[in-house]
Amino acid sequence: MSLLGKFRKFISGSFTATVGIGFTVMLLGDSAVGKTCVLVRFKDGAFLGGNFIATVGIDFRNKVVTVDNTKVKLQMWDTAGQERFRSVTHAYYRDAQALLLLYDITRKSSFDNIRAWLTEIYEYAQKDVVIMLLGNKSDMAAERVITYEEGQKLAKQYGVPFMETSAKTGVNVELAFQAIARELKQRGAQQPTEPKFKIHDYIESQKQKSSCCSGLM
Amino acid sequence: MPSHPEGILESSDPTSEENPRTQDHQPDLQKLHIQSSETDSGKASQDSALDNGHDDSGEFVVTMLARSKVEEQGMGTKDASSPLSETGTPLGPPSHRNEDVTADSWRQHRKHVFVLSEAGKPIYSRYGSEEALSSTMGVMMALVSFVQSGDNTIRSVYSDEHTVVFTQRGPLVLVSVSSSRQSEQQLRQELLYVYNQIVSMLTQASITRIFEHKKNYDLRRLLAGSEKILDGLLNLVDSDPSILLSAVHCLPLASSLRDSLSQILQKSITPNLVFSILIAKNQLLTIVQEKTVIEDARLEPSDLHLLLNLIGASSAFQAGEIWTPICLPSFNPDCYFYAYISYLDPPECTVCLVLLSTDKEAFYSVAECKRKIEEAMQTQNALNSIAKAHLYSVSQVGVSDLRHFMYKPFDVPDNHRQLTQFTSPEMEAPYSSEEERMRLLDLYRDMHSRIHSTSRPLKLIYHVAERETLLAWVTSKFELYTCFSPLVTKTCAINAITKLLRWIKKEEDRLFIRYPPKYSTTPNPSKSSKSDAH
Repeated sequence: MSLLGKFRKFISGSFTATVGIGFTVMLLGDSAVGKTCVLVRFKDGAFLGGNFIATVGIDFRNKVVTVDNTKVKLQMWDTAGQERFRSVTHAYYRDAQALLLLYDITRKSSFDNIRAWLTEIYEYAQKDVVIMLLGNKSDMAAERVITYEEGQKLAKQYGVPFMETSAKTGVNVELAFQAIARELKQRGAQQPTEPKFKIHDYIESQKQKSSCCSGLM
Repeated sequence: MPSHPEGILESSDPTSEENPRTQDHQPDLQKLHIQSSETDSGKASQDSALDNGHDDSGEFVVTMLARSKVEEQGMGTKDASSPLSETGTPLGPPSHRNEDVTADSWRQHRKHVFVLSEAGKPIYSRYGSEEALSSTMGVMMALVSFVQSGDNTIRSVYSDEHTVVFTQRGPLVLVSVSSSRQSEQQLRQELLYVYNQIVSMLTQASITRIFEHKKNYDLRRLLAGSEKILDGLLNLVDSDPSILLSAVHCLPLASSLRDSLSQILQKSITPNLVFSILIAKNQLLTIVQEKTVIEDARLEPSDLHLLLNLIGASSAFQAGEIWTPICLPSFNPDCYFYAYISYLDPPECTVCLVLLSTDKEAFYSVAECKRKIEEAMQTQNALNSIAKAHLYSVSQVGVSDLRHFMYKPFDVPDNHRQLTQFTSPEMEAPYSSEEERMRLLDLYRDMHSRIHSTSRPLKLIYHVAERETLLAWVTSKFELYTCFSPLVTKTCAINAITKLLRWIKKEEDRLFIRYPPKYSTTPNPSKSSKSDAH
């Protein structure tokens, strides 16, 4: 790794020192799927309703979550979905330990593009990156075009955990980040003898299926 | 010409306007021209050189033709929510994007701006969705390419109430349809700003490359989500004189405070950092520039305007730290800088730090600079002092009858490396309402266009308008626009200006950034920082 790369590692190390363990999480997905809204819901518990304002470049925030009495600091990168920012977002994937990949359940194109996103992720990201697929806007039952099963099927194909979220109502948003934090913490501190944390099982046991999607299935 | 009786097609070759094909298409263009005289009357100054003749029969024809187009356009509006446009969440309030382009209210907008590709594909419209306007834009392109086929260039079309200005930049065509009575020159400059804002997001090189590959490329794919930035720019163009004056407005600040802020920025550097900019309340506090870079090329006010607009338009995310590629078109239209943008005073978010680097991967090191700057500012309690800084009132000048002014000096020391700046007091009563403010700006714009007229430039204008008296004066040292109460006498105004100039001289250190500080961050001076590829 280049000198710059070492320097970067050093910086991220110094920031983790203050709160225990720190990890980088990136949100990815097409434009307008709700990446920023999910992030703001998780970070501030609020919904950025009304105005759509596209994220410019990448946006960076921190939040500390507690996993089994250990503080885990998540350094969260909110990326712009727009194509023209791909070059900067690529540059930062490879340092991310976890990726939240989002699509919009009311927009088929955003779902279809997930395969392209996953291909890109496998090309640029770290080999052991934690990936999670999120179908966002699950509150918008009337406009749904991608069923829960379709999302689940795709996730299975790629072996990544899946859930539907709503940044508006908050359904599963906290859980998604909690699961990521748990998985990352386990990976970081794992002893060979320790039983492996199973992110899939954890999610399945915690997940609340949004009531609106069951009606359509 | 029945469809365009009072229009003058201005082009360098007068024969081109005789062609029947142009006439076929003019009805489409004309529907942009439907009368909006009521909303605008009184805004232009009384003795404006523009002619106010009316031709009722012509307008009747126009209205009829416009009606015949209504149905076709109605179909277009349905497409407004196509996923490609990606312009809004379904829950969003109706924006200008969803406007009905067949409605009268659409036609009555003061200034429309359209951007299209050479293939006639819509890229941007200030009001209404581009899809709904695709036929209109097709006509615009037909006009442009028709005149082009005669080895000529269409520049503008004048009608009774509207001025239509065309400009082409590479593969992009920009059109302004305005009833604002601004000069063609001013409208063209605004279009250039729109073009440059697009370049600031994509770079000229990549726009050229894209259209070389695929002539019919839909550029909205790359600009999706950026409409707000262009909307914001056009609002700025209408409401902020900085763009008219091509100068930067900096926040008045005690020179000792400004110097100490500059020193903080000067000390917090990292390799490849090129510009450190501190902004408060959308106005410049200080800017520190890399020495070798600034010897290569100076930072133009227009680039700074584009940058400030970009920041203003994405202000919803004030809690984080943003890292984004941005091109400064006047500096170098083909390369990106990487901008680190972060507010220093969340949640108020009035003080913003912008650090520009040429290194795409420098986020962490640049973020570290911000941390240092933040720390240093905290120890000096600088945020508090900045919060106290504000625009001044014209009453501080102590000249009665003076209501407002704009002063742009040319004689700042170190001028060739200096940002062009201007100073202006707050707009106070009677210019406190949005409408009155706009009216004053329109008066200034009119004065400006006459001072800078290409055919008959003026040095001094004393203009008695209905509700105020204005005096504009250009010398080799400054450009000055002043606004007085209507009953002022000429002698009075001239005396007032002498006093004003004396006051500005005295306050100079507070009103302007006098000696822009520099730093050196290029590890290897032979490596030009402009060579950074995108």
